[in-house]
Amino acid sequence: MSPVIEVKQLSKCYKKQPAVKSIDLTVKSGEIYGLIGPDGAGKSSVMQILAGVLSYESGEVKVFDHILDSEMSAEAVKSRIGFMPQGLGLNLYPELSIEENINFFADLRDVPVAEREARKLQLMDMTQLTAFRDRPMKNLSGGMKQKLGLVCTLIHKPELVILDEPTTGVDPVSRRDFWEILSYLVRHEHMTALVSTSYMDEAERFQNLSFFYEGSVLAQGEPDSILDSVEGWVAECDCEEGLNIIGELQSKFSQAELIGKTMRIVAYDVTQEWFEGELLGLLQQHGVSKTVEIRPIELEDAFIGMLHRWEKQKAGDGEFDFGQQDNAVNHFDESPEFDRNAVMIEANELSRHFGDFVAVDEVSFNVRAGEVFGLLGANGAGKSTAIKMLTGLLKPTHGFGQISQSSLERSGREIKQKIGYMSQSFSLYEDLTVHENLKLYGQIYGVPKSRLKQRIHWALQMGSLQDEIDTLAGSLPMGLRQRLALGCALLHEPKVLFLDEPTSGVDPLGRLQFWEILVALAKLKGVAILITTHYMSEAEHCDQLALMQAGKVVANGSPISLREHIADELGMVLSIKVDYPYQALDVLRKNGFEQVSLFGRRIHLFSLVPDRILNQIKKVLSSHEIEIHDTRKMLPSLEDVFIHFIETHAEELPDASPSRVAS
Amino acid sequence: MSWLWWSRVIALTKKELLQFSRDVVLVFAVAWFFTAEVFIAGSGVTMDLNNAPVVIMDHDRTEASREWISQLKQPYYNVLGQAQSREQANEMLDKGDVLGIFDIPPDFQKKLLNQQQTSIQLQLDASNIILGTLASSYSGLMNAQYNQKWMLKNMKIVDPDSIQAPIVEERQKIRFNPEGKSTWFMPISEMMTVITLLSLFLPAAIVVREKERGTIEQLSVAPLSTFQILFPKILAAEIIILVGVAVCIFGVVGTVFQVPFRGSLWAFFFVTMVFVYAVSGLGLFISSVSRNLGQALMVSFMLLMPMLLLSGAWTPRESMPDFQQYLMFLSPLSYYIDIGYSIILKGASLELMWLPLLEMFGLGTILFWFGLKQFHRQFS
Amino acid sequence: MKWSRIKTVAIKEVLEIWRDKLYLSMAFLIPVLMMIVLGFGMSMDVEKIPFVAVDYDNSEQSRDYLHRYIDSRYFDYKGMKAHESQAEPLMIQNKIRFILVIPPGFQEKLLAGKRVQVQPVIDGLFTYQSKVVRGYVSSINADFNQQLMRQWLKKKRGMNDNDIEALLAPVTLETRYLFNEKLSSLWSTGSGMIMLVMLMAPAVLTALGVVREKESGSIFNIYASTVSRSEFIIGKILPYVVISFVNLLVLSWMALVMFGVPFKGDPVLYLVASLLYVACSTGIGMLVSILVKTQAAAALITMLGTMIPGMMMSGLMIPVNSMEAGAKMEAHLLPAMYQLNIVWGSFLKGQGWPELGTNVLILALHACVLWGISIWRFRKRVKA
Repeated sequence: MSPVIEVKQLSKCYKKQPAVKSIDLTVKSGEIYGLIGPDGAGKSSVMQILAGVLSYESGEVKVFDHILDSEMSAEAVKSRIGFMPQGLGLNLYPELSIEENINFFADLRDVPVAEREARKLQLMDMTQLTAFRDRPMKNLSGGMKQKLGLVCTLIHKPELVILDEPTTGVDPVSRRDFWEILSYLVRHEHMTALVSTSYMDEAERFQNLSFFYEGSVLAQGEPDSILDSVEGWVAECDCEEGLNIIGELQSKFSQAELIGKTMRIVAYDVTQEWFEGELLGLLQQHGVSKTVEIRPIELEDAFIGMLHRWEKQKAGDGEFDFGQQDNAVNHFDESPEFDRNAVMIEANELSRHFGDFVAVDEVSFNVRAGEVFGLLGANGAGKSTAIKMLTGLLKPTHGFGQISQSSLERSGREIKQKIGYMSQSFSLYEDLTVHENLKLYGQIYGVPKSRLKQRIHWALQMGSLQDEIDTLAGSLPMGLRQRLALGCALLHEPKVLFLDEPTSGVDPLGRLQFWEILVALAKLKGVAILITTHYMSEAEHCDQLALMQAGKVVANGSPISLREHIADELGMVLSIKVDYPYQALDVLRKNGFEQVSLFGRRIHLFSLVPDRILNQIKKVLSSHEIEIHDTRKMLPSLEDVFIHFIETHAEELPDASPSRVAS
Repeated sequence: MSWLWWSRVIALTKKELLQFSRDVVLVFAVAWFFTAEVFIAGSGVTMDLNNAPVVIMDHDRTEASREWISQLKQPYYNVLGQAQSREQANEMLDKGDVLGIFDIPPDFQKKLLNQQQTSIQLQLDASNIILGTLASSYSGLMNAQYNQKWMLKNMKIVDPDSIQAPIVEERQKIRFNPEGKSTWFMPISEMMTVITLLSLFLPAAIVVREKERGTIEQLSVAPLSTFQILFPKILAAEIIILVGVAVCIFGVVGTVFQVPFRGSLWAFFFVTMVFVYAVSGLGLFISSVSRNLGQALMVSFMLLMPMLLLSGAWTPRESMPDFQQYLMFLSPLSYYIDIGYSIILKGASLELMWLPLLEMFGLGTILFWFGLKQFHRQFS
Repeated sequence: MKWSRIKTVAIKEVLEIWRDKLYLSMAFLIPVLMMIVLGFGMSMDVEKIPFVAVDYDNSEQSRDYLHRYIDSRYFDYKGMKAHESQAEPLMIQNKIRFILVIPPGFQEKLLAGKRVQVQPVIDGLFTYQSKVVRGYVSSINADFNQQLMRQWLKKKRGMNDNDIEALLAPVTLETRYLFNEKLSSLWSTGSGMIMLVMLMAPAVLTALGVVREKESGSIFNIYASTVSRSEFIIGKILPYVVISFVNLLVLSWMALVMFGVPFKGDPVLYLVASLLYVACSTGIGMLVSILVKTQAAAALITMLGTMIPGMMMSGLMIPVNSMEAGAKMEAHLLPAMYQLNIVWGSFLKGQGWPELGTNVLILALHACVLWGISIWRFRKRVKA
């Protein structure tokens, strides 16, 4: 059977700016194929070309054995394809109800009415949209919009679905449902799916994937084979004095970061023995004698490793040393004393209503000096609204927010001088240069002239922007843009920093560097940081977390305490790699393991007694002649935490936190 | 308003100007409006009778009738010739091929020579009112000249200046634009329209763009007051518009069209500055109701239309219905048009125009306050 | 081409417009507002011209002369000034448009049978109005002269009335205004606004309709589906044609009732032509929206692209016949001129198929061409 998609040497430019650089891609029938990579990597262009809605410069593109080289030829395959463009629900019609939206898509595709009705009911049931069929699309939550988009794309029973970032900004529960539905349909309707994502942790969901970066494919194949292609080791140890030695670790190893009190060190392309020896030696030098656990890297680290290699190649001759160049800690030489108990940000029963809609519902928390506080949640959960109230952009309906113990409303402008703020989508002046942006923010905050020069120099150093002084902010890559925005927010040395989704769309390497800076900022300068994100994996970096859903805080605590709490309640996660994942899933479900879910070729399930369950599973699978390749036992991820708290919708929290959980 | 206050304002104003200078489309649009647009309007429209096609039905065909016809000359009229028949002439009139039919009776010359009164019929297509009015007015004047000639002839007077009779001679004196050049009136009118459009749109566009990109939040979080955020934007719009006006006056109005600038240039710039301020409040209002540049543009046009019509830019105040004349007090443009024309073409000094200037400033302040309130409201 | 798919696109569009109350009200309110504002605002009536008099003579004769102006409905007397220098600033301030200066010895000279000169000073700012004012002044003056001459000739030469008339005005020009007997601005420019408003509003509305989909991304549904180019364009444009047609009927009703314009022509022809005309103007909007990407650009281009030609090259302001060759050609290439012929022909002139048939045909041709180009230029597989 010939592949559904066959792409050779495909290149695409926008106004001479290359977006896709000579890529190859083969998608077999019946698989879920992933395109993974940060914003601007070229994923969307490839998907649009494959859907026949975008032309390209060179290369050969075959879909269903049709060469797509003109509008005419593209028309020929469109009836067999379903395409969902990027942007959550943006392709849907906000004024139309769920049912009207579905009908429009069906009628546009000439689906006969009887068939349409049957299919519609089936899909709406599956996505639990039936109860809301008359609700206008504009009043749906992010997760429902995503599902409706999926239903509309699937209504004409396409043989190939192309879904462009269907999970971006969606809450974890909806994301999980989405993957369930997709894998069900792929399995039962012999569909092929091409899905793109910027979440690295979704990579395991795919049978095959291509890792995109700057228009090129850095890696291609099964997740496991990609993992195998990068040799690397991770070491983790709990370490109080982390900050003192992290600089040295960073210069020695590929990567070293502080996650809470845990130090995480990664080394690529070295042997385990060498790594262990060097690391332990270095730690002993500094008088740290802690147990260090060393294990092979996971997929996300593998991607970062590949980016390292790629950057190295670009810099030529291997001169480029990442750790050396971007040592964030080095930029924070002065370490003033600060009171770790001082509450810098306080939210007290903060609420905001827009008409009948409650965007934020009695949210309370404290952020102390030197603390990184994460506000987690899907798009529309109320994170941005909460931040806007704390920065004084919005007035709370009731409750109040305080910055370093003074009310925003009363003290006004003086307080504002203490705040740094980086809003969603890095609000820079894109038509001003890097230097002009920095200078402007300095002047706005009234930084004295002599000091301003110093500060700008510092910001350029911190963001590794020295070579881009006269570049327009708009033409910087996402990662640099993000660090410039941070630099702008920090010019006046604020004591409190608000960051509203500062990392969306940034490549993993850039995100890593960004977090390094943030952690150093908090620990060394005592800045209180409040950050929102919808990347669950990033939340690990925070000291404290609050999970938000529909305007309410459903859980809070430190990342590890949250995960351990779930582990106590639901058990550990068992991850089993099998031969035939679909059959295995069916078999297990039939044999009483209803909670199993599929991650690419792996099957996950929770268990309080993992070893016993594993034995049972082994027995069941072997009786069906399904081979188990390997098994892992993992602490539940924050995503699992989030799903659990949303589903049980607020139980008593493990720790006595200031936040009240709405019931 | 400390030194710091001003240094912030200056920094922000500089930023706006820098951003403007880098926005090729916007710079081009502003340049286009102040040059090409004014040029097109100035050279395109003449509200004058120009080559109006007419036909003659000369039933007399004598020297006297020919003499009468010979007066219908270009550039006003374009005599297409004799009509074959009444039907043909009417058909041409119906189809709009001709504007009018002159019908000269068969005994035209005979009656004139017999010192009897005779009459010529003119049928005019008045569906276009401008042409109808002008054609009637011009042919009336022509006929009067013809009559005078006959009268002198009949009275056997050779030198018309020597007649002694009680006659009131009107020596009309047309002030400010003696030759009635549309090329003097239209470019100024268009320039003021452009100024209005831009002083509505530029502040709105500058603010909306910050809203679109989210940078307005960044400014709101900074220790700046709302006024301090908005003031530099208006200041920048003022500077851009004043530069545009200078280019327009020196590059198009004054040179291409040779419009005399009779008043003080500084006075005009000053008035323009006050006007831009007066309208900018509406610009802020626009920015607070629109989410993107497209909407801002739409709303600007929607506001511009009534403002233009209530301004007297096309028609003088007195020609409007009463209710409209009262509404005109609400349009800052009506004051500006008044003052602007007077300064440019009539050489008025500011002492003469202080009252409307004050009124404009007052109205502008009310609008500005309203715009500021609206701007505030959208955030809460 | 499948009707069911056209219908699907059209129904979706109607639902969207219907539910978006702001857009819906804009669609119906803007044309009406424009009609009112433009109809009343572009008044070409020159009446009630404010003026002051400077009467240095202050005699019976001079007062008689002055009263001819005061009594005229064209002039609005604002009082007497002692000296010209007092009247001048008023004109600079735009408070008056006309100063009548009567010299000393006015009565004395006239009674002595001598000629006397008066000086009407006219504000030349508004060129059209000042031309009309000149005509008014001349005719009032001529009237006065005739009366003077009549009295004088009777007294001096003993001529009878008829002979005097024949001597003074051997030729009288009898002007009959056809189609617009009262020379009403509302009849003329007012009804002409139907053409202008229904060129601009449908074009802008349609242009925004498509670009909105481009900006939101829902256009991808169309690109990725099997709906053909012509099905999409026709389905998309039809609702706007219907809305605009309704608007056009409303505007026509406004012309009839609010402006009091008579309708003398063939209603069937008018309706057919109107439908074709809105097909043209929506077609212009469609064409623009296919070529641009943002709502701002769409709005700007359609507005400038329809307002200026609609006003300048339609015959509304300047007759097409007296345009220069280039402008004349452009006028013939645009639908505006034909529609203006049809509007004035139907309302004012009472014309029917024989006179206006070609105009209707050309409008149909325009609609076909505009829709055709739109379908031809629309790409379901784009470059960027």
